[in-house]
Amino acid sequence: MRKMSENTKNSRNFDIYEVFSQKTVQSPFVHQFSLLAPNAEVALAMARENFLRREPCFNLWVVKRDDIHALPPEERPFLERLDNKSYRETKGYGDLQSRWRRHREAYEARQKQNQANSGSQAGGM
Amino acid sequence: MTAQLQFSELTEAEKMEAFLARIDRGEKIEADDWMPDEYRHQLIKLIAMHGISEIMGALPEKEWVPKAPTLRRKLAIMAKVQDEMGHGQLLLRVAEDLMAPLGKTREDLMEDLFAKRLKFHNVFHMETPTWADAGVIGWLVDGAAILTQTMSLDTSYAPYARALQRICAEEKFHAQHGESIVLELAEGTAEQRKMLQEALNRWWQPLLMFFGPPEDGNISSNQSINIRYKIRTQTNEQLRQSFLKKYLPRIFHLGFTVPDETIHYDEEKDVWVYKQPDWEWFKQIIKGNGPRSAHRLHLRESSYREAQWVRDAILAYGRQVG
Repeated sequence: MRKMSENTKNSRNFDIYEVFSQKTVQSPFVHQFSLLAPNAEVALAMARENFLRREPCFNLWVVKRDDIHALPPEERPFLERLDNKSYRETKGYGDLQSRWRRHREAYEARQKQNQANSGSQAGGM
Repeated sequence: MTAQLQFSELTEAEKMEAFLARIDRGEKIEADDWMPDEYRHQLIKLIAMHGISEIMGALPEKEWVPKAPTLRRKLAIMAKVQDEMGHGQLLLRVAEDLMAPLGKTREDLMEDLFAKRLKFHNVFHMETPTWADAGVIGWLVDGAAILTQTMSLDTSYAPYARALQRICAEEKFHAQHGESIVLELAEGTAEQRKMLQEALNRWWQPLLMFFGPPEDGNISSNQSINIRYKIRTQTNEQLRQSFLKKYLPRIFHLGFTVPDETIHYDEEKDVWVYKQPDWEWFKQIIKGNGPRSAHRLHLRESSYREAQWVRDAILAYGRQVG
């Protein structure tokens, strides 16, 4: 793990802030972009000016880039997932629906048979 | 960890080969990825120029904020000016991250601009004497910018692509803002139509120049390097042709002309054949010798110098509280 940037002091000691915003109370926070600011208060004001002139917004975060730890480029290729974990995904359980249907149909067939049997008994009385 | 060691063990030539293979596979490059110096320098040159052009590009229209004909028009053109400055902020951030390993900052870009070492788009050196100029800028200059920026959405440099996604969405509003002004004038009185025709005449050459000289021109060009690195995908002339195809018919539909009596469409080659603008004049303009270059550079520089104490004060305050 390493710091996201080795050189985040920029422009006469202004800091780089990464901006995240949340569209509605139910939305996840989404990274917007970055900006330069002398402190968090100014960064929050700048974030609204720079990125939220039109889009709806429910909440806003600014984070100093220095405080973000990122995966180095050399390790990113290992994030790619091998396609051998179907037991973790719904597509690994694609047979369930047809099996449930088979059971329902068998049950319904039994019910029908039972009704027919009791009907013939009644008729025989 | 092993991968990291392996990559750092590669020779420069092997790193370059791996980089070009990534480009060829259509992969995107991030700020902290290894990249050849040439790629970094091309990006800095392109993106710094683009960012500064957004900031200088706000100035021609800013001149019309106090004189806009209605309150709604005033609010709209103010919003557009603010958007352009916002786009400049995004692009300068992208350029700064690329310049950081070279020890350069936003201040260096501003000083380069004031010293005329950093160029901005030719169109923003031009005069805007009438309200119709504000309309033509929104309609055709932003229209031209949309074509180049839409092409660049596919750029191999991921942070630039992300900035452009935001920018392109807002440029659509800018073009519509311009179309709305232009249609109002085109549907207006004879005097209004005359004003619009004169603005079109004034902007015709600058608009042809906007895309840069054609490949076979005399001015040296970085186009082929940028196409190799997939920083861009189309040549200046391809972009200019898309522009002509899209906008010339609309100019004619409104009953206006362009100041080129030779212009015609070659159906066989599927191109517009037009009179070349004065490329010597173009060189002079982007060197900072256009009609409004000195005025706008002075405005930008004096506002930068006069606001220095604000940045100093805010920084001192930030240190105390923050």
